[in-house]
Amino acid sequence: MSSIFRKREVILFVTGIVGGINLFEYFFAVKPVADAATIVRNWAIIVSIFALGLGIFNAVRIHSGHIRRRTKNQWPFSVFLLVYFVLLTIIGLWSTQNVIYDWSFKYVYTSLSSTFYALTGFYIFSACYRAFRARSVEATILIVSGALIMLRNAPIGEVIWKGFPIIGEWVLMQGQLGGMRTLALVGGVGLIFFGFRTLLGLEKGYYGGE
Amino acid sequence: MSKSIWQKMADVDKRVLYWLLFLLLVVPYLHPLALPVAVQETTLALYKKIETMGPNDIALFSIAGGVSAWAEIAPSMVAVMTHLVTRQIKVVIWGFFTDQDLTVDMIKSKVPDLTTKYKYGTDWVYMGYLAGGETAIAQLASDVHAVFKADKYGTPIDQLPLMQRVKSATDFTLALTVDTGSYILYYIRHWSTAKGTPVAEIGIAMQTEYLPYYPNAGLMAILIGVRGGAEYEKLIGHLGDGTITMDAINVSHLLFIIAIILANVGYVMTRREKK
Repeated sequence: MSSIFRKREVILFVTGIVGGINLFEYFFAVKPVADAATIVRNWAIIVSIFALGLGIFNAVRIHSGHIRRRTKNQWPFSVFLLVYFVLLTIIGLWSTQNVIYDWSFKYVYTSLSSTFYALTGFYIFSACYRAFRARSVEATILIVSGALIMLRNAPIGEVIWKGFPIIGEWVLMQGQLGGMRTLALVGGVGLIFFGFRTLLGLEKGYYGGE
Repeated sequence: MSKSIWQKMADVDKRVLYWLLFLLLVVPYLHPLALPVAVQETTLALYKKIETMGPNDIALFSIAGGVSAWAEIAPSMVAVMTHLVTRQIKVVIWGFFTDQDLTVDMIKSKVPDLTTKYKYGTDWVYMGYLAGGETAIAQLASDVHAVFKADKYGTPIDQLPLMQRVKSATDFTLALTVDTGSYILYYIRHWSTAKGTPVAEIGIAMQTEYLPYYPNAGLMAILIGVRGGAEYEKLIGHLGDGTITMDAINVSHLLFIIAIILANVGYVMTRREKK
């Protein structure tokens, strides 16, 4: 039975139907098609919820493996993760309005998340210092443009010299915007062709074909 | 062989850089700089739009950013929500991040009028978390009731008076998306382009990704990072965390530029010495 669903023709047929319904619904207001698109999209939302479950399963599998193998410098953290995961799951299923659940999110999760996000600033600083070297003309243009954008974004740029925000604005709105719009358009056109190729069964990569 | 001054300049230990940044970030908290922040056109567009709205209008507040990004997006969220509540605009909140309940709690604590002056169900609702990314956003554009059967607190959607007025994207006067990734592009595709709903972005500093769509290609306004929040605070006359954090932005950006200049002077001079 399962081999039927693995057949290339079945995958292409399902893709064609689902893609065709949504494409048609986007451009034409036909009620039966709109209703069908609603059903299909609801299925997609439900399927994506399963991805959360899959993520949990994968995390438990990986960290159980670390504990079993006593992976050096890792397994105590895996124990902590799994114990905390089980504890929060049990408490959360019971009620999300209690002290432990509330405390864990407000004072553990929030603080850790903010800390990690803030740390990226330090890494970026170090990376800028090491990577932004004027090794070529192109690299020099990149460095100067980056500095001008920084002086535009931070009000201190205007305090140093009133011309910095004006030049920075020019670099942003004239210098880079045209390039980004071109990239967006080219990417969009490419995506349309990719979509048509998928609907016509010419793209095989998305289902593991060659 | 000992290093020359130029070599030392080009190769400062990263621990020194980290300490330097940390110490400089502390300075503005001890002695605020309070430099004036000029309001950009991208921010002003949102302010003007909300100023044209009133109690009969409904705004969507979509959360697609986690608590980790609060430092960058919370000032904008709070300032815009304050403005919406001041204008007595109805607000529908939903989101795509599993930790968004914390964000909603933060907004409620920073904008107390949302819970004291507004009546839940009539003036504002929180529909909760939704998986599905772009597919979910496309579905919400066509039929909100097909996706949400109840709000976050389990109240059936049919019992929420505000949600009786909300069937699809066209029922919203404005869709605001708080975003640390690509959700804005989904809203542009399925809400702005397909349904004509004005879409505005409350985002991080990745302005180059959003700007191609501003102002005539689906994105009517953008609040860019902390600066966007500080600008909006200035516009509504309610200075807050955004204005305070701008000092840190000023100091850190200046340090970045000085460090890059020193590194390059050291690099160029070292190369000359070698020749």
